[in-house]
Amino acid sequence: MGKRMVSKHVCYTGCWIFVVAVILSWAQVAAEDNISQAAWFKDVSVSAGIDFKHTNRSFDNAYGSIMEGYTALGAAVAVGDYNADGFDDLFVTDSKESGKNRLYRNEGGFTFTEVGEIAGVADGNDAVNASANALWFDYNGDRRLDLLVVRFGRNLLYENQGDGTFKEVSKRAGLSHPYLNCIVAIAFDYDLDQDLDLFLGNYFQAVNLFNPSTSKFFPESFETANNGGGVTLYRNNGDGTFEDVTDAAGIRLSGWTLDLGHADVDHDGDDDFYVAADFGTDRFFLNQGDGTFVDVTEQSVGIDTKKGMNTDWGDFNNDGLFDLFVTNITDEYMREGNFLWQNNGDGTFSDVARETGTYDTGWGWAGKFLDFDNDGWLDLFTVNGWVSGGKANYVVDIFELIVQPGIDLSDATNWPPMGDKTLSGYQENVLFHNQGGMLFKNEAARHQVNSKLDGRGVGVADFDNDGRLDMYVSNANAKPFLYRNVQPTENHWVQFMLEGKGVNSAAIGARIWVTTQEQTLVSFVNGGNGFASQSTQKVHFGLGESDRLENVRIIWPSGKEQEFKNVQADQIYLAVEGEKSLSQFKSKK
Amino acid sequence: MPTHLTRIIIVGVDSFMKRLILMCLLLVGFDVAYADRAKSSFEAANKARDTGDLLQALDHYEAALNSEPNNLKYGNDYRQAVVQINQVESYERCIAFFEKLTTQHTKIPNVWMNFGYAYVDKIPVEGAITQVLLANTALGYFSKALELEDSWLGHYTRGNSYLYWPAIFGRTPLAIEDLEKAIALSEKEKKSRSFHVRPYVGLGEAHWRLDDVTKAREIWKSAAKRFPDNEDLKKRLSMDDEALTAFLTTHFEPGKRVNTDLNILWEEEQQ
Repeated sequence: MGKRMVSKHVCYTGCWIFVVAVILSWAQVAAEDNISQAAWFKDVSVSAGIDFKHTNRSFDNAYGSIMEGYTALGAAVAVGDYNADGFDDLFVTDSKESGKNRLYRNEGGFTFTEVGEIAGVADGNDAVNASANALWFDYNGDRRLDLLVVRFGRNLLYENQGDGTFKEVSKRAGLSHPYLNCIVAIAFDYDLDQDLDLFLGNYFQAVNLFNPSTSKFFPESFETANNGGGVTLYRNNGDGTFEDVTDAAGIRLSGWTLDLGHADVDHDGDDDFYVAADFGTDRFFLNQGDGTFVDVTEQSVGIDTKKGMNTDWGDFNNDGLFDLFVTNITDEYMREGNFLWQNNGDGTFSDVARETGTYDTGWGWAGKFLDFDNDGWLDLFTVNGWVSGGKANYVVDIFELIVQPGIDLSDATNWPPMGDKTLSGYQENVLFHNQGGMLFKNEAARHQVNSKLDGRGVGVADFDNDGRLDMYVSNANAKPFLYRNVQPTENHWVQFMLEGKGVNSAAIGARIWVTTQEQTLVSFVNGGNGFASQSTQKVHFGLGESDRLENVRIIWPSGKEQEFKNVQADQIYLAVEGEKSLSQFKSKK
Repeated sequence: MPTHLTRIIIVGVDSFMKRLILMCLLLVGFDVAYADRAKSSFEAANKARDTGDLLQALDHYEAALNSEPNNLKYGNDYRQAVVQINQVESYERCIAFFEKLTTQHTKIPNVWMNFGYAYVDKIPVEGAITQVLLANTALGYFSKALELEDSWLGHYTRGNSYLYWPAIFGRTPLAIEDLEKAIALSEKEKKSRSFHVRPYVGLGEAHWRLDDVTKAREIWKSAAKRFPDNEDLKKRLSMDDEALTAFLTTHFEPGKRVNTDLNILWEEEQQ
């Protein structure tokens, strides 16, 4: 009887343990399932205090009815740590005549303070200038990030005074050319003299867009237009001034440039660059290492007639070579498809956009590589959409325009007014999750980053230094998004802040290889790649399950190499050129 | 006995008839000579094509077409040789050739048909906007051919061309109109051909374009009764809505090569 009771008791206890175990395991599975199904990005733009609305520019001239829609650009973001506190700040542009540009100082914990007026960088718009983009770069080697405001009109260079204020030095620096009608700027040391040179991409030709002296300033063709602004290369003289060396460097172009992107594509120690052009052929230039470039477009990527919008370089397939993502226009009426140029390592590239599933992202704008889940594979986030207006579709008007025999497209008076019409509007942004280097899967809806606003730029940075990459998305004529990354995986990561010895203090162009037990990854310090958006200058690696780096190798822009062994993951490191060890960044906030 | 007058008339008639007969004989001879010349040029073209000398083949095809411009097959094989070369210059040569032929033979429908197809053939080697212009121009020439001759091929070709235009351009109802006419014409023919299924396939696709997938399926199901072995119908009917949309979106990508080879028209006849 007693035995039976004991045995019964054991049986009951065993049953309870089993039931509890089942419940617990079910609860764990459910919790994991909830985690995996929950969105990994959260829009915190309102709580962060940065939800100001961008407004497109209106034009009070004879071409105003087409110009406002046609130039629905200028919603840009530049990420940079201007006060050198280790937290990335934001500079955001507006475009309307009375619109103020914003400088958001990062206070940590996803809070920002707007200090544009105090800093003296707010006045980027007036009757004859419209802000279009911005770039942080240390132009004078004082180890402080200066600010270039790119404008339809005349650009502005602000020198960082180191006390939270800026001083406009455009004229003194030789950058006050009127009406370059610039839309993009990147900075890298093309001539290896240890300072940052300035590459400007100009959309319109050099006319006063606000009071044009001619009506013929629109693209002459939809596929082979050569009446745009081309590119301008300003060589840094090392004394705070710049000199136009476009012709001497061999990069004179006349296309409708929308974006520029640099990387050392052939790992020969100097940075090459790609020009994404609207209405015509993109161009790819190899750096000869002697202060000149050679146009290798035809043999490297071929001649295209698409509408290049964005360039971002990254090694998406982890083969050690930088690949390139270019957005084009893909819609029901025009299916150009994006380019995902896979670097073949022999001077040629293969477009694998179709094979990898990255072909169609609508009317594409910025498309940025980032490893949002730290699994060691670069993902892609792209924003899109031209103008989301009323029910009437402007494509019908465009069609009627282009089928007119002998029509002069360069004449703005021939273009139908856009009014409130929609053109490739209401398109969902796309978050491509890299499935191991061969295929990408769109997870934008799952992670709630599939907005249908007319996105333009994507600033990628780890704004709270928690090892997860966040994103600031600028939208034309709309509020932005600040997507905080809350992904719950326990994947490891590492970040590097680089400090070069020369005037190129941020070591733009430095390449970093990190080796774990599983693989070697490569990245570089980026000088502003991507449409309407500069991402962080920190270099981020997702490491998957690896919690330690066997080796870190850095090749500085000076050509010097350094290696560091046995580096702990999940840290932000400061690497100073020539110093024997890495130092951990300690958050002050 | 015929009177003098009658004799004069008879002699006159005789003389007129002789001249008429002579003229007819000359014309027939002329035509036969042209047909012979066209045929020999066509054979020379095929020979050159088969030996891989495509540029030589183009010369001969052009000679054949100059002799017999309404010959749809000659024009078809000429264009297919151009497609095989697949160079911008060859497409432009082909378009220029048919352009000249249309100015010389404005009333010959098949010259206009081939002219339209030549534009369609060039689409894949051009940029997105030029593709629109080429497709639009081709439509104009197919319409011209239809003005000259109401035909199954004309209605099917033009209707199918309209299908490549997104619904926003308002051309899908025109596609439906043409494809329904093509179906009506095929139903009047004594002998049913396998290619007569094509307008049914297209008609369903037109309704899919108008977001009426149910109607599209009804058309394909109905057509499947007449053409039970047709793979295009089977494929479309086997897909769910999502798969069908993915398939047709790819199918109608403007830059893709459209097969304009008409040889199926003659191959089936020979069987």
